[in-house]
Amino acid sequence: MATTTVEAGAAGHGAEPRGRRSETGEATYLIAIAEALWEEMERDERVFLLGEDIGAYGGAFKVTEGFIERFGPERVMDTPIVEETIVGMALGAAMEGLRPVAEFQYADFMSSGYDEITTALARYHYRSGVPIPVVLRGPSGGGVRASSFHSTNPEPWLSHAPGLKVICPAFPSDAKGLLKAAIRDDNPCVFLEHKWIYRRIKEAVSEDPNFVVPIGKADVKRDGRDVTIVASGMMVHLALEAAQALASEGIEVEVLDLRTVQPLDEEAILASVAKTSRAIVLYESHRFLGIGAEVASLIAQEAFESLDAPVVRLAPPNVPVPFSPSLEDAYLPQVSDIEDAVRKLSAW
Amino acid sequence: MTTKLEPKPIAPEDWRAGLSEDQLKELLYLLKLCRYFDERMEALYRQGRLPGAIYSGRGQEGTHVGVAYALRDEDSLFPTHRDLSAQLTKGLDLQRVMAQFWGRIDGYTRGRDGNSHIGDWHGNRTWTVMSHLPIAYPVACGAALAYRRKGVPNVAMAICGDGATSNGRWHEALNVSALYRLPVVWVVNNNLYAYSTPNELEFPVPTIAERAAAYGMPGVRIDAQDVLDVYRAAHDAVERAREGGGPTLIECLSLRWRGHAGHDPAKYVPKELLDEFMTNKDPVRRFEELLRTREVVNEQDVAEVEERVRAAFEAGYEYALSSPLPEPGDVTKGLYVDDGYWASEPGRGGGIPA
Repeated sequence: MATTTVEAGAAGHGAEPRGRRSETGEATYLIAIAEALWEEMERDERVFLLGEDIGAYGGAFKVTEGFIERFGPERVMDTPIVEETIVGMALGAAMEGLRPVAEFQYADFMSSGYDEITTALARYHYRSGVPIPVVLRGPSGGGVRASSFHSTNPEPWLSHAPGLKVICPAFPSDAKGLLKAAIRDDNPCVFLEHKWIYRRIKEAVSEDPNFVVPIGKADVKRDGRDVTIVASGMMVHLALEAAQALASEGIEVEVLDLRTVQPLDEEAILASVAKTSRAIVLYESHRFLGIGAEVASLIAQEAFESLDAPVVRLAPPNVPVPFSPSLEDAYLPQVSDIEDAVRKLSAW
Repeated sequence: MTTKLEPKPIAPEDWRAGLSEDQLKELLYLLKLCRYFDERMEALYRQGRLPGAIYSGRGQEGTHVGVAYALRDEDSLFPTHRDLSAQLTKGLDLQRVMAQFWGRIDGYTRGRDGNSHIGDWHGNRTWTVMSHLPIAYPVACGAALAYRRKGVPNVAMAICGDGATSNGRWHEALNVSALYRLPVVWVVNNNLYAYSTPNELEFPVPTIAERAAAYGMPGVRIDAQDVLDVYRAAHDAVERAREGGGPTLIECLSLRWRGHAGHDPAKYVPKELLDEFMTNKDPVRRFEELLRTREVVNEQDVAEVEERVRAAFEAGYEYALSSPLPEPGDVTKGLYVDDGYWASEPGRGGGIPA
């Protein structure tokens, strides 16, 4: 498991510079993502960026700070506020052999480009055979008091559009390796960066320009024999915190980080449940028809004989993400909720 | 207020629009092929012999053939389901087009889509059509952006109907194309109705072409009953884009003679209007008459063209019906590049008997 440091402070946007690796070589998730983009742009002339305020301003979260000075405005293209056209242009440029990476200021705004994403981008290859090397990336998820339009976790919207790969890493190394893999992939990939993680989590991250993490593979972030927690993004960190606390009670939790939700690593999920016989599916998109609903169904159908207890889903209720701290905390699963669920399941 | 393109590379007094005799004959063949195909496919549809849907482009061949003929092979075309005639002009193989209509493996989408939701990007640089209009307008911007980045003198042309000009993407794409001065030609096939909704219930300005002024690009309005007028305007716009002059909006006026789709009797079109267009503004008949008057073709030449058209259709029909259906087990293949479904069998092959 990677070493992590939890930093104080919310994942802000706007004024703060992106920052640098620490003296010991640790990188935040934000820096790891910027490094992935930078290295791929250095490696392959066909890679270019487009999006709103990504040039001189450096992007809403400063991912592309300094890029325009190195790569110029043709490869770091500022666009007007035209989400449909950003996606459509990325598709057209990819059809002609370029490898565009489009930034959304917030993953919430992918809904403004939804038709181009789910109808055009996702379905084009299946109907034509044309490779579509496009990456759409954007900050996803809540937990930073950003309210309804800046906290959405759109994993299920996108995973329900056949043809897309949907990637949602939880750690800096995975973020870097998976983004590099996505840029090299000939399929349209949506890369969801959890904004709660951006500046909060850091770890040692490879500087090898050929470091990639395979898309579609989950990863065990903590070994355990008693209960499996299947999670992604910010929820992985909450699960790890709960697992740490529960270890002192003698409950060993296994934390499986999906890293990619489409395609889903069914094999890894089933292997973990075969070991623990108990599963909690912890996810940040709405409980109703969310990614975890699919995971729970998979476990119930394919691992029924391994199970010693029902599969439990922990996820937000089916309402928009609320603003007030008391409401947002009630909305998002909390570490204490996870601990309670694990205890109940262990006692089954 | 519409802007005229100055200067025009093709002199307006040149009745041939700079085309050779062979090219004029080729245009006549294409016009007649597209008309004949449209009529025969509708007949087969009404006889219950054609599965799926049809979206007739009849009466609009002047637009379709005229604009697509102005493109080079390496230029790209982003049409709609109404614009199959433009795709045939760009070079699609009629046999494979017909295989698509019957859902066969040899169709361009290998049975993954039907009817005029077709395209051939690898061969003829045409977009595989989608229904959500104008979904391909932004995509044309991206292709054009790539041409500029790669330093190649190619042009992207997109077509949509009057109906799609009310959609936000139409305006986004025009704005962005002018902002970046992209090599794009925007064609609007204004056939006076968006499904059943007439122009006056679609937009509050007299013409679509004048909207170009809002985006800082030239806008031209063409009566599309004469294919050479359309070709001239398209040629000028395409060459202007190729030379770095940026995008142009071309509004081509015609009437959709048939319903929105095969099921629609189009009773909302006044009979007098339809009669006027069918009698006096038929682009196929007008072009044939022009070539006869100018003595480019005689009666026998026309008969030969019509015979070629019939033979091409019959060959396409036989090919389509003898082509296999896709393997049912392949339904999940080719979603991603990863399984090599499209790479291993480029375009055709395999399948089960129909």
